[in-house]
Amino acid sequence: MALSRDAYRALGDIVGPGYISEDPAVMDSYAYQWLAETVRPNHSKFMPRPEAALLPASTKEVQAIVRTCNKYKIKFKAYSTGWYFYGAPFSEGVIQMDMRRMDHIVEIDEKNMVAVIEPYVIAGVLQAEVMKRGLNCTVTGAGASCSTLVGATCYHGSGGTSIYTGELRENLLGAEWVMPNGEILRTGSVGSGCGWFCAEGPGPSMRGIVRGALGARGGLGVYTKCAVKLSPWPGPTEFPIEGTVPAYRSPLPKNFRAYTVAFKDWGSLFEAYYRLYDNEICYYAHRQWTMLGADLGPAFWMLYQDPTKSLDDIQEFVRKREVKELTEEMRRSFQLVLVGMSQRDIAYKEKVLDRILEETGGWKVKKWLEPEMEQFSLLYLLRLGRKNLNFVYTGGWVGNFMQSGTPDFVKKYEPIAEDATEEYQEKGLLVDCGSDSMMGCVGSIGGGGQCGLEQFGFYDVADKASTAAAVEWMKHCIQEEARRNIPPGKEGMYLAVGKTHAELQRDLAKQPLTHTWQRKIKQALDPNNLGDRMYPTLDEK
Amino acid sequence: MKVKTSAGLADIIGKQKVIDKAQVLDRYSRDNSFTPSMRPRLVVQPRNADDVQKIVMWANQTRTPLVPVSSGEPHFRGDTVPSVPEAVIVDLHRMNKIIRIDRRNRMVVIEPGVTYTQVQPALAEQGLRLSMPLLPRQSKSVLASLLEREPRLEPKYSYTLPEPLRCLEVVWGNGEIQRTGEAGGYYPTLEQQWKMGLAQVFSGGPGQVDYYRLVSGAQGSMGIATWASVKCEILPGVHRFFLIPSDDLKDLIECAYRLLRVRLGDEFLVLNSVNLAAILSREADGIRALRDKVAPWVLIMGIAGRDLFPEERVDFQEKDTRDIVQQFALKLLPAVSGVRGGQVMSTILNPSSVPYWKLAYKGGCQDIFFMTTLDKIPEFVNTVFAGANALQYPVSDIGTYLQPQHQGTSCHCEFNLPYDPGNKIEVGRVRELLQTCSEALIKQGAYFSRPYGIWADMVYNRDAANKEMIKTVKGIFDPNNVLNPGKLCF
Repeated sequence: MALSRDAYRALGDIVGPGYISEDPAVMDSYAYQWLAETVRPNHSKFMPRPEAALLPASTKEVQAIVRTCNKYKIKFKAYSTGWYFYGAPFSEGVIQMDMRRMDHIVEIDEKNMVAVIEPYVIAGVLQAEVMKRGLNCTVTGAGASCSTLVGATCYHGSGGTSIYTGELRENLLGAEWVMPNGEILRTGSVGSGCGWFCAEGPGPSMRGIVRGALGARGGLGVYTKCAVKLSPWPGPTEFPIEGTVPAYRSPLPKNFRAYTVAFKDWGSLFEAYYRLYDNEICYYAHRQWTMLGADLGPAFWMLYQDPTKSLDDIQEFVRKREVKELTEEMRRSFQLVLVGMSQRDIAYKEKVLDRILEETGGWKVKKWLEPEMEQFSLLYLLRLGRKNLNFVYTGGWVGNFMQSGTPDFVKKYEPIAEDATEEYQEKGLLVDCGSDSMMGCVGSIGGGGQCGLEQFGFYDVADKASTAAAVEWMKHCIQEEARRNIPPGKEGMYLAVGKTHAELQRDLAKQPLTHTWQRKIKQALDPNNLGDRMYPTLDEK
Repeated sequence: MKVKTSAGLADIIGKQKVIDKAQVLDRYSRDNSFTPSMRPRLVVQPRNADDVQKIVMWANQTRTPLVPVSSGEPHFRGDTVPSVPEAVIVDLHRMNKIIRIDRRNRMVVIEPGVTYTQVQPALAEQGLRLSMPLLPRQSKSVLASLLEREPRLEPKYSYTLPEPLRCLEVVWGNGEIQRTGEAGGYYPTLEQQWKMGLAQVFSGGPGQVDYYRLVSGAQGSMGIATWASVKCEILPGVHRFFLIPSDDLKDLIECAYRLLRVRLGDEFLVLNSVNLAAILSREADGIRALRDKVAPWVLIMGIAGRDLFPEERVDFQEKDTRDIVQQFALKLLPAVSGVRGGQVMSTILNPSSVPYWKLAYKGGCQDIFFMTTLDKIPEFVNTVFAGANALQYPVSDIGTYLQPQHQGTSCHCEFNLPYDPGNKIEVGRVRELLQTCSEALIKQGAYFSRPYGIWADMVYNRDAANKEMIKTVKGIFDPNNVLNPGKLCF
């Protein structure tokens, strides 16, 4: 379904001829998406091809595009840096707004700890800029190469430092939103012309419509600017880098300490979460290294330190006695970074951590105390710049479970996650890296109190049988969760993309009021229905 | 069609919960603000969410305006005074159960009638406490305070502006009942959630709307909350208060920025000498004497040690604070002009004594408050003082309260204008000062995020897009405009 020539011309007039295309090869580059193979017919790696792609340079251009789409009844979807496949078209007849030209840090208000950014400002760039001013930003789990605005407005927004720096949902201090009807809403103080420092109000807070637990994932208009709260960074103005690719390291000053702490069992580990919440010592707290599997991960991380080795050498590392010991030592572990705002502060935090470990029977894993390993941890964890490693085993992965909640809740689904994974690994359908390949925030919101575990499953994207197994595993997890009275996790969100309208409606009917309100909101803001199911709504009966 | 008697309502929720005595109705017809008085038709006192839902359904059937009220008297903002005739007051003060205290997850679930006076001792027994606004009155509903986004004393724990509010049960204006945030998720009842280890911690959603934010700042015009979950703090084992006096507000603000940057201080606020005197003294002469004695501006800082090694935590934070304060040629002191930190602590960690602290000086008080950033505050102070001078209102009577919020990214700025309610000239002067100063401040960039009374028009006239959006959302959740009509832009 090609665009009418009138519509194409009208859209091209907005951005100029150099910033619009309908070349099939270019369109396929937008359609080619990670995870497409899990929901598309015949495990195709392509989502539906957009009819055209446009690269707007300003809010004004975005608004003009949306108004033109309303005039010609063309569906549209914005795409920034991407992560998962939610930003892609879900049907034919959609134009893709590629936001890469809107990549400016509009303002950094150092005193008030606020940054105003456009959609294509990635966390790594923002972090580098604000660190020059003694500040830091939340880097979400999607990593340093992903858009901070998207984390704040469109998707979720948690990361390893959320316990200290806050979740981006919490940090959102204002948004500029081109709504699907073409109108612009600026939330909070900026809407009143008072500057970007408060997202709430005036009066009832329309910040609540901008996003909820989740954002609209491109399904309800385009966010063109937002302000985010920044946090203290008592470190150097840029990361000092040492080492050899790939295991770069950062020798940060002595007020920065990174630890891998381990426990004899899950109960003790989760008990430590509670003690850390109560004592407010963490700058970063996340279960990270286990994402590559409790059995195989330690071997990988040791191999990774040696620039002469490749993944082909992993068996050699698995067989090493010290790696075997390390694997056992850090089987139930997570990572911490303590940061002192002063030397007194770091000394106090160290003392508290030691007491918490004493109380919970935990220990600091010795290998990770070595200076080079600690420096590797600091850079990896605080920067989160190596998201390629999520794909390192086989080129594809999905993260199941990740229902957030209190540690007492999360520990209820941990054994289910292991059970539901084991047989798929044993049969060789997923990479056999250990049935615990769970990662996730120790505190996914500011101050802690809530955490999550995401069970990684690695499959071969080039192998349709392996991809099919990953899909089957996701369905199996949902069944197991249902059997144990646990809600579906991230796998439910992935699979929803491939569901028929009728299937999706059945799911949405389980929370009828929520999805009825969303229908009414969508009807009001998107009268021509130009968004998509990423903002799900329950049909009117 | 309007029902002119209480009969329909009494049949639905019980006669004993419906009040139509003139004396009672009069009490709800006015407050301590300049809001025009209007007598409600009835007062109804629900006992549970079911009652509330029935009342709202009845209001929709009969097109009766409802005005939700949670706190007891005195009221100050005009939001609890009906704006239209024939309104029914929904007084929630009898819904005052503390539903659950969860020490492990540091959460408390409370009904709307629960006051700070009631909840703090109950929490203390479990080693917890709630962060508070500055000296709430004894009758102040915790839930109402949170929904109205009153600033808290501890900016470092404010990871979002509505903190520590998390989840709500809301009866929307159309009568639908919904639980928000984590409480509106997979498990339908609180009991099931507790059984699974959940504790109504996460405020977002459910789904892609933060419903609790729609109810916040709404002056009861979107929905009626029937319980809320609230995040608690650990009761400090060691707690010390310090004062940083300054003759120059700008110097103090620069120092405050530096302290906030490293999240030092638990309680963290600035008062001018008038307000410092007002919170500590209980009568006019005492207030006058103290305000003339202390420095014009005082930063009040509490440092708390909560769980492990509390004494050490307080000790090192005191030292770190002192190091920073000295860099600004200021002093971190345990006492100033006879005012001890401990005295300030015992005052501001409790609700106000009676009479309410703002009324102690002259019997009446009008507030002007808004949000801004700390650096802009000296300009706003100048504006208000200039406005007062122009109207011959004594600048020496103006109280100022600055409360950094959301970890220092914004600041609540409040001016308190005491007056004698029996003195017509003074009343007129304050009324005029309220109008002219508010207009000047808004023009200058003050953000009136909670636009009560006359501020609503001033604010919404500057932000047509938000006004339209709010009206659209109101049309969805309260299509018959039964909840507090006439307020905000409704």
